[in-house]
Amino acid sequence: MYRRIRARAVALMGAAAFLAGCSGGQAEDGVVTLDYWCWSQSMSEKVEAFNEAHPDIQVRHTDAGGGGDSSTKLLTASRAGNAPDVSCVEYQTIPAMVVSDVLADISEYTGPVEDAFSPETWQTTRFDGQVYGIPQDVGPMVMLYNQRRFDELGLEVPRTWEEFAEVAADVRERDPSSYLATFGPTEFGNFAGLAQQAGASWWSVEDRQWTVGIDDEPTLRVAEYWQGLIDQDLIMPEPLLTPEWNNRVNQGEILTWPSALWAPGVLFGVAERQAGDWAIAPLPHWEGGSQDVALQGGTALTVTKNSEHPREAAEFAMWMNTDETAYTMQIAAGQYPAAIAGQQAAAQGPPPELMANQEDYWQVATEAAANTVSGITWGPNVNTASDAFGDAMTAAVRDGTGLPRAIRGTQDTVVGEMERVGFDVVE
Amino acid sequence: MTPAATVEERATRGEPAAPPSPVRHRKTFAPLVLLAPALALFIAFMAIPIGYALWLSAQGLRIKDEGIFGIRGEVFVGFANYRQILSDGEFWAGFLRLAAYGLIAVPLTLGLALLFALLIDHGSARFKRFSRTAIFLPYAIPAVVASLMWGFMYLPSTSPFSHLTEAWGLGTIPFLDGNAIYPSMANIAIWGGVGFNMIIIYTSLRGIPAELCDAARIDGCTEWQIAWRIKVPLVAPALVLTGLFALIGTLQVYGEPTMLAPMTTEISQTWVPLMQIYRDGFIRDDLPMAAAGSVILAVGTLVVSLILLKATQRRTSGGMR
Repeated sequence: MYRRIRARAVALMGAAAFLAGCSGGQAEDGVVTLDYWCWSQSMSEKVEAFNEAHPDIQVRHTDAGGGGDSSTKLLTASRAGNAPDVSCVEYQTIPAMVVSDVLADISEYTGPVEDAFSPETWQTTRFDGQVYGIPQDVGPMVMLYNQRRFDELGLEVPRTWEEFAEVAADVRERDPSSYLATFGPTEFGNFAGLAQQAGASWWSVEDRQWTVGIDDEPTLRVAEYWQGLIDQDLIMPEPLLTPEWNNRVNQGEILTWPSALWAPGVLFGVAERQAGDWAIAPLPHWEGGSQDVALQGGTALTVTKNSEHPREAAEFAMWMNTDETAYTMQIAAGQYPAAIAGQQAAAQGPPPELMANQEDYWQVATEAAANTVSGITWGPNVNTASDAFGDAMTAAVRDGTGLPRAIRGTQDTVVGEMERVGFDVVE
Repeated sequence: MTPAATVEERATRGEPAAPPSPVRHRKTFAPLVLLAPALALFIAFMAIPIGYALWLSAQGLRIKDEGIFGIRGEVFVGFANYRQILSDGEFWAGFLRLAAYGLIAVPLTLGLALLFALLIDHGSARFKRFSRTAIFLPYAIPAVVASLMWGFMYLPSTSPFSHLTEAWGLGTIPFLDGNAIYPSMANIAIWGGVGFNMIIIYTSLRGIPAELCDAARIDGCTEWQIAWRIKVPLVAPALVLTGLFALIGTLQVYGEPTMLAPMTTEISQTWVPLMQIYRDGFIRDDLPMAAAGSVILAVGTLVVSLILLKATQRRTSGGMR
């Protein structure tokens, strides 16, 4: 919700960015000053640590708003020629940023961190050998569940989606005020992850020829599955993280949240009182299908074309995501690092507060991170897709017209826009 | 007299008054100087942005074959954006929703404002200052805050009203479901807008000479008749003004639905035209399309305002006579 409030401040921020942009650059004493936009919590400390370790590169950090806002402002600032040198960008927005000519290819500088990330992680920022960002955090999908309530109702943790449907029915039977889960009709990233797990490929590109498969067979199957649960009143179709939803979570009326490794921190912010009650389990998979899960969310540090110091900017981006000091701070703030060394360090620590009583938390987490689907490409108009998806799915839930139809509508909107803009879309 | 003689020389020599040209020059120059600040501001903050919006609305972002995915750049597309948006059913549906919302919000806001103004203006009213402030106070609360506050009061699990009805065994009130969204949202606007409109009408009421009402009273008018036959016709211009404000305000509804959107599945990203314009500009990163939408909305607002003024002009001046 705060995203929308912040939207109103876009103009103001634009002005601020303009003022900031006027005073960048290299001072006479050889110290390079970089501007940096990012919204994560541990940022200020990490930037301070970097500045201390690099007397000749000084970084000024600004929180320009969450993922959506920040990318909007980045586009605007870039057109005005005063984008920051380095900016956080969500993985799903990176292709759109490349298409809008905002990001610089930094592959000539990234040799030293080649082995710091897994190939699946690199696929989020590296296309055809061109590198458009250094991965910061990743969100392998897992299922959060309220263990205390599961025990109370005598429920087994579902391992497959088939079992998930059965448990959902049990929940309704044993406690009619509770639901096993919520289906958030605007949760684009979440649904994309569920579809990818089932084998969907929403975009792919070769020689600037795009294939769009938002309504491919696996996606429609997943949509039908959730529609079935909605039809039988086994899950609640409602937006997530609203006052209403938060209240239900606090009442113990929502038992699971199939999401990603960043979710424990978010949920802790909503239901602090339930610290220790929750646990994570592997995301259910399809019977007979692969156990792999998708990545949901996550960001990279990107270098902009506006930057006059791409070398220093790249050095900063690499340090922030591979240096031990940096990832130690990142883990302490509740993020799951993208770097392999960071993930190993995280696994040595205690579980997040919400899961304080789960002994095998990191075991489950590490396993999820190790089994991620590879080869995911996001499209050049993910924002349109996300927006069309949210409206279509919401209408489908409200009017009872079915999620598969909404998925087909989203496909049409996305392809229509790509063709209008001039992309070469092949069937 | 030499051709080089100046006005001053001629004046000091006692020659006849200077030819009219310098005077005319001074006449045309002074207004310009006086107008300059306003004109400069108008050009800088109105004319240029409007011109830019018009120019932008004829541009389009199209793909050029560069880079690994292609690069988007601005090209001239003429009326393509207008064609696209005018043929978009959602955009028109947004105006229909506005109409449904406006039909509830505008008459109620104005009606209540007039009622309160008349009550406070009434001679025997008590606690005038307190009532005036209490009714005006919601106007001081930003729409964003008001929408959030009302949103909480509408949501089933946080609503005090639903809490009561549930205790009585009647279930929760679906404030945000189905068509109930229109009155629920109009309520926020009415709650916030009545006070402002009341003050305008009340000020206008205070301007009515006391003799008029005294004369009416001597003629045997009841208070009700005084209000209806004398005061209301005399404040008609204020009513037209507030009506115009309310109409323009309705066409520009944005804050309330935007704030309520995350709380209900009823409100889409394109629920009202301004939301669609915002989405085009900032979510879909298509500023030219947003510019085209803005131009259409601005022209529409102008046309509707002119029609309203035209339609009420005759009636209000007729009432004055």
